[in-house]
Amino acid sequence: MPSARINNRIRRLRFDHDEMTQEELASRVGCTRQTIIALEQGKYVPSIELAFKIARAFAVTLEEVFQYEE
Amino acid sequence: MAPMQKRAWWGLAIGIVFAVALLLLFIIKGDVTTFNEDPGYRITVAILWVGTLVAYLVVMKLTLRKSEQVDERDRLILDRATSVQLWALIVTLVAWTLALTEVYWDTGCIPVIFLYLIFISIQIIYVIAQSLGIIIGYWRMNIDA
Repeated sequence: MPSARINNRIRRLRFDHDEMTQEELASRVGCTRQTIIALEQGKYVPSIELAFKIARAFAVTLEEVFQYEE
Repeated sequence: MAPMQKRAWWGLAIGIVFAVALLLLFIIKGDVTTFNEDPGYRITVAILWVGTLVAYLVVMKLTLRKSEQVDERDRLILDRATSVQLWALIVTLVAWTLALTEVYWDTGCIPVIFLYLIFISIQIIYVIAQSLGIIIGYWRMNIDA
Protein backbone atom coordinates (compact mmCIF):
# COMPACT_ATOMS: atom_id res chain seq x y z
CA MET A 1 0.00 0.00 0.00
CA PRO A 2 1.56 3.35 -0.97
CA SER A 3 2.21 5.72 1.92
CA ALA A 4 0.21 8.92 1.96
CA ARG A 5 1.18 12.24 3.42
CA ILE A 6 -0.66 15.41 4.28
CA ASN A 7 1.39 18.54 3.83
CA ASN A 8 0.37 22.00 4.89
CA ARG A 9 1.21 25.65 4.25
CA ILE A 10 0.44 26.94 7.73
CA ARG A 11 3.83 28.57 8.25
CA ARG A 12 3.65 30.33 4.85
CA LEU A 13 0.08 31.49 5.50
CA ARG A 14 1.00 32.84 8.92
CA PHE A 15 3.69 35.01 7.41
CA ASP A 16 1.31 36.13 4.68
CA HIS A 17 -1.14 37.24 7.36
CA ASP A 18 0.96 39.97 8.99
CA GLU A 19 3.35 37.45 10.46
CA MET A 20 0.71 35.97 12.70
CA THR A 21 2.33 34.26 15.67
CA GLN A 22 1.84 30.58 16.47
CA GLU A 23 0.28 31.62 19.77
CA GLU A 24 -2.22 33.86 17.99
CA LEU A 25 -3.21 31.17 15.52
CA ALA A 26 -3.52 28.65 18.33
CA SER A 27 -5.81 30.92 20.27
CA ARG A 28 -7.95 31.61 17.16
CA VAL A 29 -8.46 27.94 16.36
CA GLY A 30 -8.64 26.69 19.95
CA CYS A 31 -5.57 24.52 20.27
CA THR A 32 -2.19 24.78 21.98
CA ARG A 33 0.89 26.43 20.47
CA GLN A 34 2.64 23.04 20.67
CA THR A 35 0.04 21.59 18.30
CA ILE A 36 0.63 24.41 15.79
CA ILE A 37 4.37 23.69 16.03
CA ALA A 38 3.72 19.95 15.45
CA LEU A 39 1.47 20.76 12.48
CA GLU A 40 4.03 23.05 10.87
CA GLN A 41 6.72 20.42 11.29
CA GLY A 42 4.44 17.81 9.71
CA LYS A 43 4.48 15.75 12.87
CA TYR A 44 0.74 15.79 13.44
CA VAL A 45 -2.27 15.54 11.13
CA PRO A 46 -5.23 17.53 12.51
CA SER A 47 -8.85 16.45 12.75
CA ILE A 48 -11.22 17.69 10.03
CA GLU A 49 -12.67 20.17 12.53
CA LEU A 50 -9.30 21.70 13.40
CA ALA A 51 -8.31 21.75 9.72
CA PHE A 52 -11.45 23.76 8.87
CA LYS A 53 -10.82 26.14 11.76
CA ILE A 54 -7.26 26.76 10.54
CA ALA A 55 -8.47 27.37 6.97
CA ARG A 56 -11.10 29.81 8.25
CA ALA A 57 -8.54 31.63 10.39
CA PHE A 58 -6.67 32.42 7.17
CA ALA A 59 -9.91 32.95 5.19
CA VAL A 60 -8.89 30.36 2.58
CA THR A 61 -10.22 26.97 1.49
CA LEU A 62 -9.13 23.76 3.15
CA GLU A 63 -7.08 22.70 0.14
CA GLU A 64 -5.16 25.94 0.15
CA VAL A 65 -3.86 24.95 3.57
CA PHE A 66 -3.63 21.17 3.36
CA GLN A 67 -2.45 19.04 0.45
CA TYR A 68 -2.87 15.29 0.25
CA GLU A 69 -0.01 13.47 -1.46
CA GLU A 70 -0.10 9.80 -2.37
CA MET B 1 6.62 21.70 26.53
CA ALA B 2 2.86 21.13 26.45
CA PRO B 3 1.05 21.52 29.80
CA MET B 4 -0.06 17.87 29.64
CA GLN B 5 3.56 16.80 29.10
CA LYS B 6 4.66 18.90 32.07
CA ARG B 7 1.96 17.27 34.17
CA ALA B 8 3.16 13.83 33.11
CA TRP B 9 6.74 14.60 34.22
CA TRP B 10 5.43 15.78 37.59
CA GLY B 11 3.31 12.64 37.90
CA LEU B 12 6.29 10.44 37.10
CA ALA B 13 8.44 12.24 39.68
CA ILE B 14 5.78 11.89 42.39
CA GLY B 15 5.21 8.22 41.56
CA ILE B 16 8.92 7.38 41.68
CA VAL B 17 9.54 9.37 44.89
CA PHE B 18 6.58 7.63 46.56
CA ALA B 19 7.73 4.19 45.46
CA VAL B 20 11.32 4.79 46.62
CA ALA B 21 10.18 6.30 49.95
CA LEU B 22 7.93 3.33 50.61
CA LEU B 23 10.64 0.87 49.66
CA LEU B 24 13.10 2.58 52.02
CA LEU B 25 10.51 2.56 54.81
CA PHE B 26 9.94 -1.16 54.39
CA ILE B 27 13.69 -1.85 54.31
CA ILE B 28 14.33 0.27 57.44
CA LYS B 29 11.26 -0.66 59.51
CA GLY B 30 10.90 -4.33 58.73
CA ASP B 31 8.66 -6.98 57.29
CA VAL B 32 5.05 -8.20 57.46
CA THR B 33 5.30 -9.09 61.18
CA THR B 34 6.50 -5.62 62.16
CA PHE B 35 3.62 -4.06 60.21
CA ASN B 36 1.14 -6.16 62.20
CA GLU B 37 2.72 -5.38 65.56
CA ASP B 38 3.82 -1.75 65.24
CA PRO B 39 0.97 0.80 64.98
CA GLY B 40 3.53 3.58 64.34
CA TYR B 41 4.67 1.75 61.25
CA ARG B 42 1.12 1.50 59.94
CA ILE B 43 0.46 5.17 60.65
CA THR B 44 3.69 6.19 58.86
CA VAL B 45 2.65 4.18 55.79
CA ALA B 46 -0.84 5.70 55.90
CA ILE B 47 0.51 9.27 56.22
CA LEU B 48 2.96 8.71 53.37
CA TRP B 49 0.18 7.25 51.25
CA VAL B 50 -2.41 9.97 51.86
CA GLY B 51 0.25 12.68 51.66
CA THR B 52 1.38 11.49 48.24
CA LEU B 53 -2.22 11.27 47.03
CA VAL B 54 -2.87 14.87 48.12
CA ALA B 55 0.42 16.07 46.59
CA TYR B 56 -0.47 14.33 43.32
CA LEU B 57 -3.93 15.89 43.20
CA VAL B 58 -2.56 19.38 43.97
CA VAL B 59 0.15 19.09 41.29
CA MET B 60 -2.38 17.79 38.74
CA LYS B 61 -4.65 20.72 39.50
CA LEU B 62 -1.85 23.30 39.32
CA THR B 63 -0.28 22.06 36.09
CA LEU B 64 -3.55 21.97 34.14
CA ARG B 65 -5.72 24.82 35.34
CA LYS B 66 -7.77 25.56 32.24
CA SER B 67 -9.48 23.21 29.81
CA GLU B 68 -8.07 25.28 26.90
CA GLN B 69 -4.61 24.01 27.84
CA VAL B 70 -5.60 20.61 26.42
CA ASP B 71 -6.46 20.18 22.76
CA GLU B 72 -7.26 17.28 20.40
CA ARG B 73 -3.61 16.23 20.06
CA ASP B 74 -3.20 16.06 23.85
CA ARG B 75 -6.46 14.11 24.15
CA LEU B 76 -5.27 11.61 21.53
CA ILE B 77 -2.06 11.05 23.49
CA LEU B 78 -4.01 10.82 26.76
CA ASP B 79 -6.35 8.19 25.28
CA ARG B 80 -3.39 6.03 24.25
CA ALA B 81 -1.76 6.53 27.66
CA THR B 82 -4.98 5.46 29.38
CA SER B 83 -4.95 2.19 27.50
CA VAL B 84 -1.31 1.61 28.59
CA GLN B 85 -2.35 2.47 32.14
CA LEU B 86 -5.26 0.01 32.09
CA TRP B 87 -3.06 -2.85 30.90
CA ALA B 88 -0.43 -2.03 33.52
CA LEU B 89 -3.09 -2.16 36.24
CA ILE B 90 -4.47 -5.50 35.02
CA VAL B 91 -0.98 -7.03 34.86
CA THR B 92 -0.23 -5.77 38.40
CA LEU B 93 -3.43 -7.26 39.79
CA VAL B 94 -2.83 -10.59 38.04
CA ALA B 95 0.74 -10.69 39.40
CA TRP B 96 -0.46 -9.98 42.97
CA THR B 97 -3.23 -12.57 42.76
CA LEU B 98 -1.01 -15.34 41.41
CA ALA B 99 1.87 -14.58 43.80
CA LEU B 100 -0.27 -14.34 46.94
CA THR B 101 -2.29 -17.42 46.05
CA GLU B 102 0.82 -19.51 45.56
CA VAL B 103 2.61 -18.23 48.68
CA TYR B 104 -0.35 -18.40 51.09
CA TRP B 105 -2.21 -21.37 49.63
CA ASP B 106 -1.41 -23.65 52.57
CA THR B 107 -2.32 -21.18 55.33
CA GLY B 108 -5.53 -20.15 53.60
CA CYS B 109 -5.28 -16.51 54.72
CA ILE B 110 -3.30 -13.47 53.58
CA PRO B 111 -1.74 -10.92 56.01
CA VAL B 112 -3.54 -7.57 56.13
CA ILE B 113 -0.43 -5.69 55.02
CA PHE B 114 -0.99 -7.05 51.51
CA LEU B 115 -4.25 -5.14 51.31
CA TYR B 116 -2.15 -1.99 51.79
CA LEU B 117 0.52 -3.17 49.38
CA ILE B 118 -1.96 -4.09 46.64
CA PHE B 119 -3.68 -0.70 46.77
CA ILE B 120 -0.42 1.23 47.14
CA SER B 121 1.09 -0.60 44.16
CA ILE B 122 -2.08 0.11 42.16
CA GLN B 123 -1.71 3.81 42.98
CA ILE B 124 1.97 3.83 42.00
CA ILE B 125 1.32 1.93 38.76
CA TYR B 126 -1.67 4.16 37.99
CA VAL B 127 0.44 7.30 38.26
CA ILE B 128 3.65 6.01 36.68
CA ALA B 129 1.99 4.13 33.78
CA GLN B 130 -0.14 7.10 32.78
CA SER B 131 2.79 9.51 33.04
CA LEU B 132 5.06 7.23 31.03
CA GLY B 133 2.30 6.68 28.46
CA ILE B 134 1.93 10.45 27.99
CA ILE B 135 5.69 11.11 27.86
CA ILE B 136 6.24 8.28 25.35
CA GLY B 137 3.20 9.45 23.38
CA TYR B 138 4.66 12.94 22.89
CA TRP B 139 8.07 11.48 22.13
CA ARG B 140 6.68 9.05 19.52
CA MET B 141 4.54 11.71 17.92
CA ASN B 142 7.66 13.79 17.44
CA ILE B 143 9.51 10.89 15.86
CA ASP B 144 6.79 9.12 13.83
CA ALA B 145 5.42 11.65 11.39
